[in-house]
Amino acid sequence: MQTPDFKGTHLFDRLCWAKENLDGVQSDYRVVYEDSVDECAKILVPDPNWMACALQGGILPPVWVYHELAKDEAQPDFKKHTRGYLLHTTEPMPAMTEEEAIEYLIMKDVPQHVWTDWNTGNKPKMVICRKEQLPSTREWRNAWKITDNLTATDIAA
Amino acid sequence: MAGTIVADTLTHSTAGSIATNYVVNGSAKAWVNFNGTGTIATRDSLNVASLTDNGTGNYSNNLTNSMSAANFSSFAGGDVNNANDDVRRNIRLFRIETSLVKVVCGYNANSNTKEDWTNVYTSIFGDLA
Repeated sequence: MQTPDFKGTHLFDRLCWAKENLDGVQSDYRVVYEDSVDECAKILVPDPNWMACALQGGILPPVWVYHELAKDEAQPDFKKHTRGYLLHTTEPMPAMTEEEAIEYLIMKDVPQHVWTDWNTGNKPKMVICRKEQLPSTREWRNAWKITDNLTATDIAA
Repeated sequence: MAGTIVADTLTHSTAGSIATNYVVNGSAKAWVNFNGTGTIATRDSLNVASLTDNGTGNYSNNLTNSMSAANFSSFAGGDVNNANDDVRRNIRLFRIETSLVKVVCGYNANSNTKEDWTNVYTSIFGDLA
């Protein structure tokens, strides 16, 4: 199905169009990351309807828009977004591959301090994996950490 | 956009009228139904980009279209499994940002014990950015 020309259309209207016209896509990819030494590893799970939008193209804004809004929200006197129009008026992203969509989602929903230097410490702070590679039960979930024994092949896989 | 009707009021033949801003302001701007057990997974949603599994019974909903301010209203509900009607179970929302809501599920009979729930529902009302 061809995406309508959505430039200038409110993002929420685009999402409603996608909800009505696109089938959700359950991705097998998961992003495991550690953003605090005091907390267990966290797992980012893509939303199927969002993934359908990413694969379709012409719906989602570029990820830098979210970074601009995050900068605004980080201001101490922030009360309300005044640049929300960036979500709606910026040229939408073209169709992405599933892998590109995961990269986009990392830059959108994983804390910036994790993905900007994910591999500079003693061990990686972030790993993209398949959901089958996660433990099959949630036993000791609050103690999960990224293993120290990741090889370069594991990281590249 | 094709198919747009511009109207400030909707009138029913017998039941009366309603201003369309009631519809615009009163509709959920995001919602999600997900399984918080195993490898957590969304069943269905609107305006949600991803979920984050933060630990046992602790999840984040990340929005696609942010809300305009962090003072929107959000609600959560759910169940530990489809057969459980124990009212001592509780679900709470915290750390609300314009593009993020965190939700925790737990069992609070005698302690603050978080647990994974099979059914977690979140909905958000307010103004979009």
